[in-house]
This record gives sequence, structure tokens and C-alpha cells, in this order.
Amino acid sequence: MNNKVIIIGAGPAGLSAAITLAEKNIAVLVIDEYLYAGGRLLGQLYEEKPGTWWNGIVESERLLERAKSLEVEFLLQTSVSDLEKVDQTWLIHTTKGIFRTRHLLLATGAAESPFPIPGWTLPGVMSVGAAQVMTNVHRVKPGKRGVIIGVNVLSSAIAMELQLAGVQVAAITLPHANLLTKGNSNPLEVMNSLLHVAHMAPSPLVKIGSKLMKNDFMKKLGINFYPKNGVKMWDIPIMLRKAVVEIVGKDEVEGVILATINTDGSIVKGSEKRIKADFVCIAGGLYPLAELASLAGCPFHYIEQLGGFIPLHNEQMETNLEGLYVAGNITGIEGAKVALAQGKVAALTISQRLNAGASQHDIKLAIQDVEKTRATAHIQFHPDILAGRQQMKQIWAESVVPLATH
Amino acid sequence: MTERIMSHPVLGNLILKEKVTFTFDEQVFEGYEGESLAAALLAQGIRTLRLHEETGQPRGIYCNIGHCFECRVNVNGLEGERACLTPISDGMVVKSGQTLPTSVRDWRKNLEQ
Amino acid sequence: MQNKSMIVCRCEEVSYDELVESASKYKCSARELKLRTRAGMGYCGGRTCRTMVDNIAHLHHPRTSDEITLKHQAPIRPVRFANLGEVKS
Repeated sequence: MNNKVIIIGAGPAGLSAAITLAEKNIAVLVIDEYLYAGGRLLGQLYEEKPGTWWNGIVESERLLERAKSLEVEFLLQTSVSDLEKVDQTWLIHTTKGIFRTRHLLLATGAAESPFPIPGWTLPGVMSVGAAQVMTNVHRVKPGKRGVIIGVNVLSSAIAMELQLAGVQVAAITLPHANLLTKGNSNPLEVMNSLLHVAHMAPSPLVKIGSKLMKNDFMKKLGINFYPKNGVKMWDIPIMLRKAVVEIVGKDEVEGVILATINTDGSIVKGSEKRIKADFVCIAGGLYPLAELASLAGCPFHYIEQLGGFIPLHNEQMETNLEGLYVAGNITGIEGAKVALAQGKVAALTISQRLNAGASQHDIKLAIQDVEKTRATAHIQFHPDILAGRQQMKQIWAESVVPLATH
Repeated sequence: MTERIMSHPVLGNLILKEKVTFTFDEQVFEGYEGESLAAALLAQGIRTLRLHEETGQPRGIYCNIGHCFECRVNVNGLEGERACLTPISDGMVVKSGQTLPTSVRDWRKNLEQ
Repeated sequence: MQNKSMIVCRCEEVSYDELVESASKYKCSARELKLRTRAGMGYCGGRTCRTMVDNIAHLHHPRTSDEITLKHQAPIRPVRFANLGEVKS
């Protein structure tokens, strides 16, 4: 039992690690609390190039089939509640009992970080990821007509997915500014971050953007003249000069109060209008879900570019605790393809520790593959992701005495 | 009523599993074997899954992936089950969460003044 | 303003104003802010509001990059007593 590697999280990082380990004839158990394997890869659906779709369900099934053919063991619908180390062994407490391993990979992904809007506890308000899963995985419409609050890479991608499934998106717009909305509520900052993802979509916004807005003056001009009713992307109005002041409804969402905002995010008095919606999505971004690494006793570092508090780890995906590894969004918010590549690195590192035939050269190549995948990523969550990765590398180099290789 | 997405331009036609029935607060609902309770209820227009224990404010799904516990309900007698992670089965008995009979939150009022 | 009724911690229904006022009054750490208001101490274990509570606390409290200001506590998912005590290997 102790020779089996345990992976917590059946998302892209966990599945890819499981496959790589099983290919080296190492026994693997994957634990996940969701109904199906695939993690948040399941909901993803976007056109990579005309006619070629990245279909998360197909990708997840492909990975699951491959893992199963290699006799990887899966324990789905199983929640992990605690993690402790006794002697050399990690004890994993789950709803299906306690499992033990010497080599544990945490691939627990990310959670959404919301911003508050008055009325956001009403039934019908959900995280943008919730709407994605409901639509693409469960194939149930989150509602008839929705408003997405928060304009960013994730929300615009999901808006498009909703549209594709026949769910009407009345608007993607900003939250009314408070101390927690930060860059999310400032039209100029949002515009800046959108320009960064300009390559992403055939959008008129981008056309206004990339040519016109090379300098700050032009950007300010652009946002000043930004149409009050928004610019349409895939037929969805993107409203950078509007903000949701409140979500309204008696017992469930009935609509939102939308106001026109100035370029600094402040409200134009008297501009408030009520628009109808039966669901609302909050899109505040993602943060690494690292609670198990915390219970294990990993040191953490706050790195904004990576999405928040990150457990200390090296490029080989090892933490400073013996037998504990990390891969995927727990190490920083990036796309599924980077997670897949990281899962492979973690698995090769574990194989090397188990003397199961992975050379330092193999690991090096896998790390290079992560870098290549990152460089060519379709979706990038933070423009300075590289700086964030570099910072973690630096912290590791300064703080960790290299683990003894035996 | 919220609809199911029967056909999808990229994902194709929806393949439904065996039809099952379950109850939510004594009302009978239909769903498909193994799908999430939250999805089955939403497909039939049910958004409110519980009332906040203290304030009685209605709540429904928020994260839909097991993180937020907002969708917790009583399933076959077990409290605190997440509707978003619970696969439905025939004859399942589901009850919404209700307010506590006695508030435990009065201390805060005393603290404020 | 409606911020009085704008909830940050959904589990314990702790409002934005309550958190911002406590943070500015005590200029305390995120952990102390949590203990003072119960934000992040409800059913979900703070998974939904922790980034918000953390950010409010750091409006008045310098951030150091090497601490996790809101620690995690086991169990990270509620555990039934019925499931305890039985050790499977």
C-alpha cells in the first residue's frame, strides 16, 4: 500500500501525473471529490483556431481512458478532510477512510475569489465557473438571461460558451467600485487588461484596442469615448462604462441595477437603471486552492502574479517537505495545458525518487515543455506570470537547502 | 422553467441516462440517474435550496463544485450534503435547509452598542 | 449606503461595513479580523471569502510575503462522527 503514489485532484495536472507514473509501472491512486474526473478542464470549450475546438469533456475522457487502461485506481466522490505525516508516511483522511503513501501529489487546483455585490447571496447569483459547469457539464441552462459582473479572460470566455449553448447574456459589465473590487471596477484598468488578451478573440473591442491604444493618452481617449451601451463581442455587449450597483429580487434574482460610470469608476448620478435577468455571474478571478499544503506544513509566499498564496516549491514540483509534491493551479493560476505539463514534471520527479527510471534529463525536458506551453498559451491569467514563476524560483533557491538525493 | 440544453453546436446532442424520481421537500421531481442534484433541480426551475440558519435568507448554488457549501441539503436523512456533488438516484428523499429554531447570534447585537 | 447589507462572508453573514470598520478601528491582522467578526469561520471554512477578508485586513496592515495570514484548519471538509473511528487501510 505504501508503495502506491496518491494524487489528490483528478484535474488536468492530476490526470497527467497519474498517466506518467503508471507508464513507469508505478501504482497510482487518484482521489477527487467531484462526480467525474477532469476537474475544471471538464467545462472548458473554446475555438483554438477556426474549426478546431478545445473540448474539455473530450479531453477529460481521453485522459481518464488512458489512465484506466494503465490501471490507475480512481476514488471519485471522495472528500479529503485532513492530511498528516506519521514517520515517513502521509496519512490522508477521506470520507472513504484513511489512505497512506510516502509520495503524495497535491493537484487541488483553484477556487474562485469573488467580490461582493449587494444582493449576491440571492439564489440565481453564482460564480462564473458555476455557470460554466452547469452549462457545459450538466447541460442545464443557469437561467434564461444573465448578467456577468467582472470583465476578464475567464468571464469573456465563459460568456461565449453560454451564448454558444443558447443562454442569453444581457451584458458583461463591471462591479460598482468598493475596496474589494480593485482593478475590476476601473474602466481604464479593465481596458488595459483586455488589451493584453487582444489575441484571444475576433472582437471589435480588440480592433478598437490594439491599433488605437498604444499609449496612455489614446487609452484614456478610448475609454472616454467608449460607447455607453458597450461594444459587442460575439453579440454580447461588453459594457466598460457601466457597473452593477445592486442585484435585486425578492427571493431569487429578478434583475440588476446598472449605472453609467465615469472613467474612474464613479457613478454618474441618476443613471441607474433596472434591467431584467434571472441569473447573475460573479467573475472575480481565481486563487490557488492550497489548504492541504497548508495542513501539511508547507511555507507559503504571497505572489500576486500567481494568484495569491503559493506553497513553496521548486521547478521539479517538489515542496520542501519530503514526499510532498504539487502541480497545476495550486502552484499558480494558469491554463489547463500548463497544468498537464506540470503534472508530467511532478510524476517524473516522483519516479526518480522511486528509482523507477526517470533521469534528470527527462525531468529537464519536461520542465522545458512547461515553459514552452506557457509561452504559447491561448489564455493567460496574469500578464506577468513569468515574473511570478521567477520569484518562486528565487525564493526556493534562497530558502531551501537542496533535498538530499539518495 | 430552466431548460436542459438538448443539442449543442459543438458538444452535440445530450445523451440522457435512466429517468429517476426523487422528492425535494415532499414534492416529486424527475431527473436522470447520476446527474447532480443541483442540476436536476435547476432544470426544473428550483433555485432555492435552503434558508440561512440564522437570518432565513434564501440560498442556492454558488460555486457548483463543492467549495462553498451554499447548496447543502438533507439527503436521505444526512445533513449538510452538497447538492452540487450529490448524484441523484431513484427514490432519494431531499429536504431543504431551514432556519434554526433558536437564534445563536444575539451576542452580536450586544457587542454593537 | 447599502454596504451595511452587502455581505462578504456568506456563511456567517458578515457585512462589508462590519469588516471595513473593524479593520480600520483595530488595524489588525487578517486572523484577528476573522476572530473579531467571525468572517471565514462558518460552514465552508472561509474558502469563499478568505481572499476578501485578507484584502480588507491588509488595507490597514502591512502585507508580508512569507506568511499565510489566514491559516487553514483541519478538517477542511466537515466530517461526520459516524465516519470517524473506523480505520481502513
